[in-house]
Amino acid sequence: MSIGEIWNLIILSPVINILIVVSGYLFNSFGLAIIALTIIVRTLTLPLTLKQLRATKAMQELQPKLLELQKKYGRDRARLAQEQMRLYKESGVSPAGCMLPMLVQLPIWIALFQSIIRVLAVVPEDFLSLSQHLYTSWPMVFSLVPLDSQFLWLDLAMPDRFLLLPLLVGGTMWLQQKMVMPRTVDPRQQAQSTMMLWMMPLMFAFLTTQFPSGLALYWVVSNIISIIVQYKITGWGGLLPAEAKKQAGKDKKYIKHISKVEEKPTDYADVGADIGADVGADIEEGKTGAARPRYQPSLRAIKRHSKKGKRPRGK
Amino acid sequence: MPRRQLLAKTLLLLLVLLVLGSGLIVFGCAQTGAVPRGWSGVEVADGALFLGSMSGNVVAIDSTTQERLWPSDVSFEVKRESGGFGCARAPEVVAIYGTPEAGGELVYAAGYNGKVYAINAQTGALRWVYPREGELEPIIGGPAVGAGKVYIGSSDGRVYALDAATGDRVWVFATGDKIWSTPAVSGDTVYIGSFDKKLYALNAADGQKRWEFETEGAIVATPLIDGDTVYIGSFDRYLYALSVSDGRLKWKFQAGNWFWARPVAADGIIYAGSVDGKVYALRAESGDKVAEFEMGSPVSSSPVVVGDAVIVATEAGGVYSLDAETKQKKQLAELEEEVYAPLAASGGVVYIHSDKDVLHAVNARSGAILWSLPLKSE
Repeated sequence: MSIGEIWNLIILSPVINILIVVSGYLFNSFGLAIIALTIIVRTLTLPLTLKQLRATKAMQELQPKLLELQKKYGRDRARLAQEQMRLYKESGVSPAGCMLPMLVQLPIWIALFQSIIRVLAVVPEDFLSLSQHLYTSWPMVFSLVPLDSQFLWLDLAMPDRFLLLPLLVGGTMWLQQKMVMPRTVDPRQQAQSTMMLWMMPLMFAFLTTQFPSGLALYWVVSNIISIIVQYKITGWGGLLPAEAKKQAGKDKKYIKHISKVEEKPTDYADVGADIGADVGADIEEGKTGAARPRYQPSLRAIKRHSKKGKRPRGK
Repeated sequence: MPRRQLLAKTLLLLLVLLVLGSGLIVFGCAQTGAVPRGWSGVEVADGALFLGSMSGNVVAIDSTTQERLWPSDVSFEVKRESGGFGCARAPEVVAIYGTPEAGGELVYAAGYNGKVYAINAQTGALRWVYPREGELEPIIGGPAVGAGKVYIGSSDGRVYALDAATGDRVWVFATGDKIWSTPAVSGDTVYIGSFDKKLYALNAADGQKRWEFETEGAIVATPLIDGDTVYIGSFDRYLYALSVSDGRLKWKFQAGNWFWARPVAADGIIYAGSVDGKVYALRAESGDKVAEFEMGSPVSSSPVVVGDAVIVATEAGGVYSLDAETKQKKQLAELEEEVYAPLAASGGVVYIHSDKDVLHAVNARSGAILWSLPLKSE
């Protein structure tokens, strides 16, 4: 049995027959059948999606720890990366993980595309080949084909000429990406997240202008399902500025906590070494006027203790 | 995060996007043509063979010398569409599915570009085009000629009757869905099937409906009129025998899959090929099955009768001679090219247009392939 025959047997033919029968029960609407297929597929892949979302949520919750790591190993880049990776690993976040639910759906997209071409009788060669995919034990499918390509304002066999669907695909994907986008203080990581935030929606919006709108309908519904599931798991995530502020407030609190720790009396020699190293590093990196808060209390402590002529307690 | 890791992540992201995009385009297209190519059969008239090539041309070939009869092939105008990439790209040539029809000094042909052409059979000069401005929806069926008119069905669901000499529209009849069927003309009636599951009998003079017969599936096949019966196959897997006068059902026969090809009649037997890979031989009067031929491949190409033999080609390219009385199936040739186009015959020679755009001439008795002519325009 060739790969093509296996593909037809386990993916394409089931998708075709299910779409035809479902459209028969849904007022002979192929558009509603595509929406139903999307819901079925997303339900079947829900465990995978949930796993990924929980990992993403865990990563977002790791932000304070990541911040702590940055404070702790800010100058030791290699160590910082090592510690970050350890944290990611512990939280179960995989760099390719967010793509996995999408990759799993790729065969369904291909099968849906091939189904659309066949069941809507666009090109005679493809429509004729449909006969070899129909289940002879399901008499209903023979009386239902070809399916009606009209759904709302769309011809499901053609790209949306009003360009509303590309906007919907791009918009819903952007929203969904924005919700899962982890908050990070690392500007380079931020840049990468921003690139992902825009690249995927733009690419899919472009694909929508090129492929039959039936396929894009799947993408829109799938994105909406993602948004709903995402909301249930993590809330609005990166979408809400208020939450971002709240989170920022938490971060500030966290920084205060660090500062308190730093205010504890320390050894003069150590402090001096720290300050010297830090100032030196700042000069090396060309940073001016951006004093790091963690060292301010220490400086004040030095002055206070110097005036009193006392050595601070401690080590 | 180190620059190397960032770079790796970015590359991974790009790779995933590339896989998604190219997977959709390449693999999505791999199992589907998605670009119309055409499967025109051959019209034989006065020693000339007329057919539509997959280069989007109507060609005229001398059946004896295999030379082109016209100074140049007649090329159809490509309908300008917003083309995409991948499978959705706009076709570069016009697919011709319907077999050209000769009538008097003209040859009529229609294309996927939604236009009907009348060409001078002797010179290849274009006589008229319908519509003169714009185009209809894609035309898949071929034209039929009768009573000074050309009849054609379009994917817009309408049957058009055009003046054969001028191309002026005489009447239009609207059905409920797309038409891919080729009309059949008998006497003063035009018979045509539609995706709306109905077979229509129309008055050839004015397009008034005489009767309609509804099946349970879409109709793509061309009707066969034999005596006082019209035979039509449907996607509901039934072959129907209807009374010519009023469309009354005489009998019906169920196959395992669609009837796509037009059946043929020989010696009181109807031979109907199905895409279930069988040809059924049925008594014309009763519909009783006389024989069932296992062809090993779907039959979407209409058979042809040569003498007392029925010649059938399968999609896989096998050419067979069938005899219902003796229940004999004899393999004539193996073309090793797929065949979807209806067969034609003249003088004991069967003409087969393969999906490789090659025209084969096969001796109907011996099965010898007399010649094979690639049609690609020089």
